[in-house]
Amino acid sequence: MRQPGAYSNLLSGGKTGPHSLPLARIKKIMKKSGEDVKMISGEAPIVFSKACELFIEELTKRAWAMTLQRKTRTMHKEDVAAAVMETDIFDFLVGLVSHTPNPSAPLES
Amino acid sequence: MKRDRDDFEDDEKPQIGSSSRTPYTISHDTTTSSYPNSTTNQNPYASKNNNNNNNKEQDRFLPIANVGRIMKKVIPGNGKISKDAKQTVQECVSEFISFVTGEASDKCQREKRKTINGDDILWAITTLGFEDYVNPLKIYLAKYRDIEGEKLNVPKQQPMEQQQQQQQQQQQQQRMHHDQNSPNIPYNSVYSTANLITQPPFISGDPPFPLPFSQSSIQTGSLPQHDHVEDHW
Repeated sequence: MRQPGAYSNLLSGGKTGPHSLPLARIKKIMKKSGEDVKMISGEAPIVFSKACELFIEELTKRAWAMTLQRKTRTMHKEDVAAAVMETDIFDFLVGLVSHTPNPSAPLES
Repeated sequence: MKRDRDDFEDDEKPQIGSSSRTPYTISHDTTTSSYPNSTTNQNPYASKNNNNNNNKEQDRFLPIANVGRIMKKVIPGNGKISKDAKQTVQECVSEFISFVTGEASDKCQREKRKTINGDDILWAITTLGFEDYVNPLKIYLAKYRDIEGEKLNVPKQQPMEQQQQQQQQQQQQQRMHHDQNSPNIPYNSVYSTANLITQPPFISGDPPFPLPFSQSSIQTGSLPQHDHVEDHW
């Protein structure tokens, strides 16, 4: 198994310390979420670091269940999409995981 | 046994240069390249690091290596995760952060507060249906606040294992501790975590003997109980 990316930490502009996700990057993503997000306390990215870990774990477990239904051992994007579709609290992700493969196709009534 | 031709275990494949990552128009059977900047593979798109769009795109997401690592923890050892699955989860996480931050930000606006703090995030996470996360998060946050509180009481020049000396100094600084006992003062500083998160744990080879004076030559800013966090997480 390859080493965790040394590049990923450099690119994120900082060390992660005891948290497994880069706090500076989390903060950037938070700021992008809205114009009125201006001041963020030091602990908010720390909470997110753990929350995102829990989120990734939950999404992955559910996606893996979909993978097993396909009787294979490799998780694909479709498994993640299926997990999103069947979980209520992941409703906010529905638009993200389901895109029309051919947006120029004519709509039929 | 049919074998998937998808690439897996591959974090360094060059990504598509446009800012929209879906849908893919390339097939999944290109061979992997171990060099992030390699242009020798058959992928016609720009490699990861020499394109402004790609840099912006990286800012929008958490690093795929970190995401992939967390994913692997919860599947069986012989399971595989394709690159597109990792990327999808990567996008979902950013959406999750935006979603929760938006709710927390709205709450702060309603309450006429300018700074989003950890409790706002916890509230938003609960409100949006992720209440199962709240207990582990509270524990995590409490540990972090413990460490921050300790940090304010202990002078920066103390190395980790000189706890006898630290306890003496703590008694001297009880007054300071009371003054700073207000729950909000240590926690609302925007950059108060800088020392905590950027410094690696201080592990000294010095024998732990008590000194009658502070070691002003050792300026680590590290914390006596720093390793407690690492033990648990």
